[in-house]
Amino acid sequence: MPNHRRSLANRSNALKSTGPRSVAGKRASSQNSRKHGLNSTPDFESSSEYRALVDLIAEEGFSGFACADIASSLLNYRRVMDAYYDTYASPEPVDEFLRDANMKASNPIFGELLSPSGSEPQDVREIAAFFASMQRQERRKGGPASRRSADTHKLIRYQRNGIARLSRAIRQG
Amino acid sequence: MLYNIHLSIDVDVAMPVEDKSKSLLPFLSSPKLLPDESEAEFESGLQSLLSELDNPSPLAVALVSQLNECLWWIRRHTVDKELLLHEAMARLLSKAGSYSEAYDNRKVSEALEHYLDGSADKDEAAWIDEILAESKLTLSDLRIRAFKDAARHIKMVDDLIHRQHQTIRHLQRSIDSIDYKSRLIKRMDLELAALESKQSVKEVSSLDAKPS
Repeated sequence: MPNHRRSLANRSNALKSTGPRSVAGKRASSQNSRKHGLNSTPDFESSSEYRALVDLIAEEGFSGFACADIASSLLNYRRVMDAYYDTYASPEPVDEFLRDANMKASNPIFGELLSPSGSEPQDVREIAAFFASMQRQERRKGGPASRRSADTHKLIRYQRNGIARLSRAIRQG
Repeated sequence: MLYNIHLSIDVDVAMPVEDKSKSLLPFLSSPKLLPDESEAEFESGLQSLLSELDNPSPLAVALVSQLNECLWWIRRHTVDKELLLHEAMARLLSKAGSYSEAYDNRKVSEALEHYLDGSADKDEAAWIDEILAESKLTLSDLRIRAFKDAARHIKMVDDLIHRQHQTIRHLQRSIDSIDYKSRLIKRMDLELAALESKQSVKEVSSLDAKPS
């Protein structure tokens, strides 16, 4: 089977999937939409780094409350910057097959795949339209640099909040 | 393929802190570098920033390290702006004229990258010249069209650079605040010592003045 035809067949079959059935599969797929984890509330207070930071910051003349605030703000800021780097360093990969595929030329293949005995025009049109919309989305996302900047751009607000909190904690401490 | 490189800043050697065992950096995650980036360059930037501070406290050193990372991000994003233009140029070339089926986007992109940085061989250069001629575009025309095409993403990168500048301003204000605080504490210590010495002098003189 030619490569292009096989890829289309695999993707058409994947559309028929009803998702994971096992508990482990469901647990894994429940994390599919997790992007960076910055919306979760971290528990810095129970970490050894936090306690060490509080002790060290206390030696600089900050009050007990300010030390705790500065330490957790610093750890939070580092968490944001680590997520920023991870997002930047591993952008969503470009689906080259989908981006470069000639969808018009693929219509007869869809016809054969859907009903080998004779194509049903309505089904073929639907699946071709679906793949064409996927292709438009893929092309709109652009290359690696475009994806990287778009993904990193979503973390701006976390960085803004993180640094504002840290700066406030230090200046008010 | 990108790999994480964790920077291990050698606190004992690098940090001009009064007591080097009191550095905050071992308790914070280190900034990471991309594989093609120079660790030595990153550290020399940090050292030059630290050398501008007079006897920085451990917290100030930690903030300067964050500031250095921001400067590094500005460099990365500035390079990305050029990459975005190259991507858009390759995209425009690969679908130029009636040749949308003929040219592989990735091949065009690679050849164009080599062409622009001057490392293209004869075949690649001739190929790019041929596509440009077929699409009736000059390189500057292509660049202008690519800029228009990539405007949305370039704006995003500008926002990212602006964010880093804002973060640097926050960090600078925090460092100033720490510096002011430490100077204030030193001044108060000195004033307290002066008051104590005055007090002791008074006590001695009052003892001397008492009739025996």
